[in-house]
Amino acid sequence: MTAPPQVTTGRELSSPPADGITNLRFSTHSDHLLVSSWDKSVRLYDASANAVRGEFMHGGAVLDCCFHDDSSGFSAGADNTVRRLVFNYGREDILGRHDAPVRCVEYSSATGQVITGSWDKTLKCWDPRGASGQDRTLLGTYTQPERVYSLSLVGNRLVVATAGRHVNVYDLRNMSQPEQRRESSLKYQTRCVRCYPNGTGYALSSVEGRVAMEFFDLSEAGQSKKYAFKCHRKSEAGRDIVYPVNSIAFHPIYGTFATGGCDGYVNVWDGNNKKRLYQYSKYPTSIAALSFSRDGKLLAVASSYTYEEGDKPHEPDAIFVRSVNEVEIKPKPKVLPNPST
Amino acid sequence: MSIVPADPLVQLETTCGTLLYELQIIWDEVGESDTERDKMLLELERECLEVYRRKVDQANKCRAQLRQAIADSEAELAAICSAMGERPVHIRQSDQNPGSLKAELRAILPQLDEMRKRKCERKNQFLEILEQIQKIKCEIYRSTGYPPANTVLDETDLSLRKLEELQTELQALQMEKSERLKKVLDRLNTLNSLCLVLGMDFKETVDEVHPSLGESEGTKNISNDTIEQLAAAIQRLREIKIQRMQRLQDLATSLLELWNLMDTPLEEQQIFQSVTANIAASEDETTEPNMLSVDFIKYVEAEVSRLEELKSSKMKELVLKKRFELEDICRKTHIIPESDSSLDVAIEAIESGAVDASSVLEQIELQISNIKEEAFCRKEILEKVEKWMAACEEECWLEEYNRDDNRYNAGRGAHLTLKRAEKARALVNKLPAMVEALASKITAWENERGTEFSYDGIRLLSMLEEYTILRQEKELERKRQRDQKKLQGQLITEQEALYGSKPSPMKCQSGKKGSRLSCGGGASNRRLSLGGTMLQTPKADLLQPTRATPNTRQAKKIERLHQNDHSNLLKDDGIASLSAGRRGLDIAGLPVKKSSFGESPMVRKPFSPISSTDSSKSNATNILEDLSRKHNDMLQKTLSSNNASFTTPSKIISAVEEENRTPKAKTIPVPATPATVSVPMQTAVTPALFAAPPSNSKPVDDIPEEIEYSFEERRAGFVLPNSSLKTTILV
Repeated sequence: MTAPPQVTTGRELSSPPADGITNLRFSTHSDHLLVSSWDKSVRLYDASANAVRGEFMHGGAVLDCCFHDDSSGFSAGADNTVRRLVFNYGREDILGRHDAPVRCVEYSSATGQVITGSWDKTLKCWDPRGASGQDRTLLGTYTQPERVYSLSLVGNRLVVATAGRHVNVYDLRNMSQPEQRRESSLKYQTRCVRCYPNGTGYALSSVEGRVAMEFFDLSEAGQSKKYAFKCHRKSEAGRDIVYPVNSIAFHPIYGTFATGGCDGYVNVWDGNNKKRLYQYSKYPTSIAALSFSRDGKLLAVASSYTYEEGDKPHEPDAIFVRSVNEVEIKPKPKVLPNPST
Repeated sequence: MSIVPADPLVQLETTCGTLLYELQIIWDEVGESDTERDKMLLELERECLEVYRRKVDQANKCRAQLRQAIADSEAELAAICSAMGERPVHIRQSDQNPGSLKAELRAILPQLDEMRKRKCERKNQFLEILEQIQKIKCEIYRSTGYPPANTVLDETDLSLRKLEELQTELQALQMEKSERLKKVLDRLNTLNSLCLVLGMDFKETVDEVHPSLGESEGTKNISNDTIEQLAAAIQRLREIKIQRMQRLQDLATSLLELWNLMDTPLEEQQIFQSVTANIAASEDETTEPNMLSVDFIKYVEAEVSRLEELKSSKMKELVLKKRFELEDICRKTHIIPESDSSLDVAIEAIESGAVDASSVLEQIELQISNIKEEAFCRKEILEKVEKWMAACEEECWLEEYNRDDNRYNAGRGAHLTLKRAEKARALVNKLPAMVEALASKITAWENERGTEFSYDGIRLLSMLEEYTILRQEKELERKRQRDQKKLQGQLITEQEALYGSKPSPMKCQSGKKGSRLSCGGGASNRRLSLGGTMLQTPKADLLQPTRATPNTRQAKKIERLHQNDHSNLLKDDGIASLSAGRRGLDIAGLPVKKSSFGESPMVRKPFSPISSTDSSKSNATNILEDLSRKHNDMLQKTLSSNNASFTTPSKIISAVEEENRTPKAKTIPVPATPATVSVPMQTAVTPALFAAPPSNSKPVDDIPEEIEYSFEERRAGFVLPNSSLKTTILV
């Protein structure tokens, strides 16, 4: 280990990407961390050893990446291309192309498909095994009402958030049309959507410092549970400064979640009890992405300017890996009103 | 030949006799003639004599030499003795001649040796002393160019007396030397203490005089020159010291003054205690190290200047305070302060340092006392004016009250208003008399003083006159109204006779309310109608709209209605303008409820649920109302923030607003002007609203779209292919 462990921010990984970090994800098998960046690279880090295990350079900025299994992954490029990356051999295959930059990519282990969303207003599903030629890999193209901004998977459910505040909920087994068409209950542009680990709903964040907690269940009872809350704001001299909420990450065990905003803070929330559990000390710049490791003991934080105020000088991009304390993440049940008082 | 050792002479005689005998034998043998024999014998005799004479001569010479040596020794002895100043030893003179010359010499030689030794010792003593003398002299007169005279020892005088002389000389010299040394050390000490006090480098100062002085060890130069230079240096430093001391004492005095003046806390004073303690000290008393160093003086100077600055700022403050006091008194007594500008000038002058603040202060105080005096003599009249104004206010209230047709409806607190009205009527009846009395009082006052009685810069009398005129006019108006009413009543009864039905009173409630408000809230004619209640200085007039509370409250309410309405019009893209109008009407009809609704999304707490009605509806199908409502809230928020002239909450909000311009959201903010909708609403909610402005009836879709982009799209420079140029500019 080269860098000394830091108490406040966690351990900073050496040799971070040279430009804005677009996403980072922990593997579901190990403590490997896949990071995509505007510097056209996808890097594979070993978070526990603080070492780079692999690096892929693409023809354009990489807007998203995800793991396939522990030895391969996928990347979504601003050069309209979806790639499959094999870490052991440093090999990359082109899965296929969109008509516009690919914004996000997800791998569904339930169906063995890769799902990509693009600014060409489509969703595409791919079969990663048929690696030769686009004809055999592309499973389907599904038109969306607007440019796709964020995707999230849980089980067979796929939530697609697009520009214009549309939210489509699909069943992967029947992609012909959305299972639900919704409109974001937040008034501003959607920034990130993430499904609850228990598969009952999703959290959606907007550029206006707000997160909505939604449920798939359309019954009256089910919908009565939904709510939204404000976060990543700063009150200064009577005015609220509102920051975009760039990232949401659910804890794999407790179901609590962390949000990261352009204010550089990472907050941990207990959605069921409507409580904020913890706020980590401020990071140097905007939180671009968050990811919990498979056991939820580590939290990777990408502190990287997300271009919310255009091209301007900013702090260097950095990845911090912090070990998560149980106190910070474990839900605290509501205190029941004492009947005696 | 054997020689018998015996008496030499005898032996000699024997040998000679034998030799002679032998000769006779030889001669006999030879047969030498007697003459020959005699001749031989004579020669022998002569030769013998010769040998004797030579030997005697030799002995004689030896004796003379011996004598000479003795004499020499004696002479030397005598010389030494005399040189050493001792009694000469006359050995030879003594009668007992010890014997031979050799003995005599032997006797004298040890004496001589002894004396020589003593002389040598004495000489050494002399040399030593002389050397010391030389050295000291050299030290003392070194720099004065005394020749380094070598020690010349007078060998002839080595007497003890001389030695003593020399010793005393030496002592004297030594004394002088030590004295000088003491002097030098003394001066060095003085110099050192001076240097300490003045914060100068002692060694450097001393080195200037003579380098040897600065060294702690080794001999110091003690020449006259050095001493003089030291004295000069001391003198110089002393002068500097005195000079600085005076400076410091000056500073101390000003410090003390400033402290006294400003009640400087003791802790602050403590730091400079050492300065002020020495304020009256004489030159010798100032001995504290560094007390008079340049740095320290500068330090004190800085403190003094700081305090002075403080003082001047305090003075300024004081002046300003006094000025405020003056203004306050003026305001209370409704006098216009005369020399506002002159005061401003004075304050500016203080700031620039041209004028002493204290004189300005005096001036202001003088003014204050003048004003106070004047206020005192105005007091009586002012009290009356106050009463009059209060009465006017009551009158105004009464008027309004009289206009309210529902005034006798028994509601909560109705009896109180009734009572108030009763009182007000009595007061109003007294008003003319009051005005009269006041006017006469004022005239008396003015006559007495020869000046006008001004009230906030306006002549009070003229105000009163204005009021009376107004009152008369009102009286007339009232009379005319009464006549008209009577006439109307007649008309109605006639109509009733004709058609048999009695129309309900025409005036609708809202209309009434509106008229009342416009009457009561007419800020500009208030001054007239109230006869000057609201009459203030011209400045105050500007503030009136905010003070006329009923007016502003109404305005606010209306504004809020506009917002609701406005946003509705903007948001409902698909819905025809007609419905928008209706909606606006609805809202206007329920102002209280709607306004509270408008508030609620803003104060929503974290984790509070989105209203349940919303959630139940926002299902798989897109529900427009829900959507529009939400947009409503949003827009309202943004609009209200704009309208209320807050600055926008933050950079991000504004960015968000710009980018979030969905086609419907911000299509035409200007055409849907709140003014067109709101104007009719201000007077009364009338059906006129249905005739919505034509601009709203156009389908909103026609308006060019502005497309939202995410941060990533902007960064990537991504532009939707079908979007217009506008969007590229945005990117």
